[in-house]
Amino acid sequence: MKKGQKLTTAVLTVLMAMAAMTGCGDSGETPAGGDSSSADNSEDKTLSLLTFSDIDQTGLQAVCDLAEEKLGIHIDIEVVANGDDVIQTRAASGDLNDLVISNSGAILSTLHPADYFIPLNDETEIMDKLDDTYIESVTVDDVTYGIPQCSTQVGCVLYNKSMYEQYGLEVPQSWEEFTANCQTLKDNGETALIGAFGDAWTSQVLMLGDFYNLNEQDPDFAKNFEAGEDKYASNEYALRSFTKYEDLLDFYNEDYLAAIYDDGCQKLAEGEGAHWIMLTQVLGNIYSLFGEEATNNIGAFPIPCDDPSINGMTVWMPNSIYGNKNTGKTETILEFMNFYLSDEALDAFTTAQLPQGPYCVKGYEIPDTAYEAVRVDMQKYFDEGKTCTAMEFITSVKGNGAEKICQEVACGLSSGAEAAQKYDEDAYKAAVQLGLDWEQ
Amino acid sequence: MNKRKIYPLAFVWPAVIIFVVLFIVPTVISFYFSFTVWDLKDAVWCGLDNYKMFFSESSLSTSVINTIIYAVFTCGLKVILGFFIAVFLTSNIATKTFIRSVVFFPTLISSVAVGIMFKAILHPTKGIINVFLSLFGIGSIDWLGNTKLALGSIIAVDVWKGLGIAVVIFIAGIQSIDKTYYESATIDGASKIKSIFYITAPLSRAARNSVITLAFIGGIRSFDLIWAMTKGGPGYATDVIASTVYKQYSSGYYGLSTAGNVIMLLMVMFLAFPLQKFINRGGDLQ
Repeated sequence: MKKGQKLTTAVLTVLMAMAAMTGCGDSGETPAGGDSSSADNSEDKTLSLLTFSDIDQTGLQAVCDLAEEKLGIHIDIEVVANGDDVIQTRAASGDLNDLVISNSGAILSTLHPADYFIPLNDETEIMDKLDDTYIESVTVDDVTYGIPQCSTQVGCVLYNKSMYEQYGLEVPQSWEEFTANCQTLKDNGETALIGAFGDAWTSQVLMLGDFYNLNEQDPDFAKNFEAGEDKYASNEYALRSFTKYEDLLDFYNEDYLAAIYDDGCQKLAEGEGAHWIMLTQVLGNIYSLFGEEATNNIGAFPIPCDDPSINGMTVWMPNSIYGNKNTGKTETILEFMNFYLSDEALDAFTTAQLPQGPYCVKGYEIPDTAYEAVRVDMQKYFDEGKTCTAMEFITSVKGNGAEKICQEVACGLSSGAEAAQKYDEDAYKAAVQLGLDWEQ
Repeated sequence: MNKRKIYPLAFVWPAVIIFVVLFIVPTVISFYFSFTVWDLKDAVWCGLDNYKMFFSESSLSTSVINTIIYAVFTCGLKVILGFFIAVFLTSNIATKTFIRSVVFFPTLISSVAVGIMFKAILHPTKGIINVFLSLFGIGSIDWLGNTKLALGSIIAVDVWKGLGIAVVIFIAGIQSIDKTYYESATIDGASKIKSIFYITAPLSRAARNSVITLAFIGGIRSFDLIWAMTKGGPGYATDVIASTVYKQYSSGYYGLSTAGNVIMLLMVMFLAFPLQKFINRGGDLQ
């Protein structure tokens, strides 16, 4: 009896030690599916994909399922909590997944793409499909790395149409008209503007989404800002992106500092607030939570400018899928990327997850089933060419503290001028990290 | 006796090697990286720039002040409240074992869980505290959204959570006091209050010193509760050094965040050691 116990203990200990060792080792290996004769082949066709929990995975999952069916490529999706630091630390320690979903634009240049990601310049089949503005946002030092994971989206003012009808309001053409609308709603006892600053990132959409207006008034700002020659605090039009917060202080819901993104979705859908300055990704969330009718009751208009003649949308490029070039699976990765951009994959994607804006894939149109705000309200700005890519996709410098700085100014803790000053300081940190030659 | 070597010196080596490799080497390396702009791949020497930035930029320097406020208040409250609760729990009351477990209970919950729970409790419109206060006509107070209150609210929660440990240490200290002191004090006609202040308080000094040191260092290094409750917000109102360091790290400013860590290390050293010296002063006289 005692001997038996000893033996059991010994065996268990060895097993545990082995389990621990394999756990520390290469976690990228996954048991190969299929029959033994094609074991080698199917193991090679398994790719691991790293994605983040705040990204809607529905469309991605649909495409991955289809890829397994059509190409026999199995994708292991690993979802981690937010943080580019996960990518950076894994890349530096050689543990990066085969495929990585991450931001396009400014963030990409901080990830050392030349060392870790597969260049796509020679893959004409992929490159020919991509939109030029998109390519710009995933290109570092003339090398292109990514393919779009979903549709573009827009940072704009989303509004409740039935409330606009009820109080006889018109879609505002200028900032003045917008605040006047808010005042009317407030006078009628409604919450004019939704704030969900419990999630700090939601506060920066106004500042970032105001870039169309800024760019129209001073087309050189982005270039000069990246060169360190112009600052938010000293440029009159750029400063306005921060001082706009000051005009809105009276209009928020009572719990605007505690409410989170999900609360915002609920308030907009259920008419507890008339406007929300947000990204159009919110339409997808509202659709899945409150259904089609609620979603189609939501309209969209651009963040208004002081000058009524300027009226256009600031566009966010989608997250991108990057391929890890150091895993020896380049061929399979490229095969998957190619497939991801094919019409059948895009159809599968849009069936599962409706687009929040136009696609960056040439010749792929928004389907008729899309949300009204996208199909009607937004499309006309795209048709008229009144759009501009958000600044973080044009320049490599983005202050990472933007959300906190905007949260402060949005709740009146600091003035717009102070916030602009702080943002400049914050951007300086990013410039130092990138090795740009800025003078403070 | 002391001079005779019982064990060979070689016995020390395994421990020394582990300590050097896992603690000393990383600490020294981190000093080096705090003087560089580092992206995990290349490190470019930048002298004292990271430290200058940490103290000159308002969003970073507020965190230093907040850390000190946080450490002083959590530590002070834990010592004062912990002492009186311990005195109460060592007296002759009927349900003392039960109350002791109740007081210790919050210590067993993870900080993140406590943070999330209190975030709900302190919600300005739906939270149980404000709903209760509204019964008395007190308007909604934004405990975590109001910048003047937010840090205080978190301090209160931290004290609620950390009090158990302080109480347990105090109880151990108080119980080790010789009962004869109290007897003679009673014979001399001292009141209960007097014996608390003139016998219990001075003689539980060793326990108090441990509580102060532990709570103060814990306060300087605190991160989890703050992160779970406010993520340092609104704005930068409740940022402490640890949360700032984390944010710089997740932004990819590895050099800057290492500098923050070094500052935190130095702060623990230069505040906690003198503090310990101060509270232990004259300790030998007794």
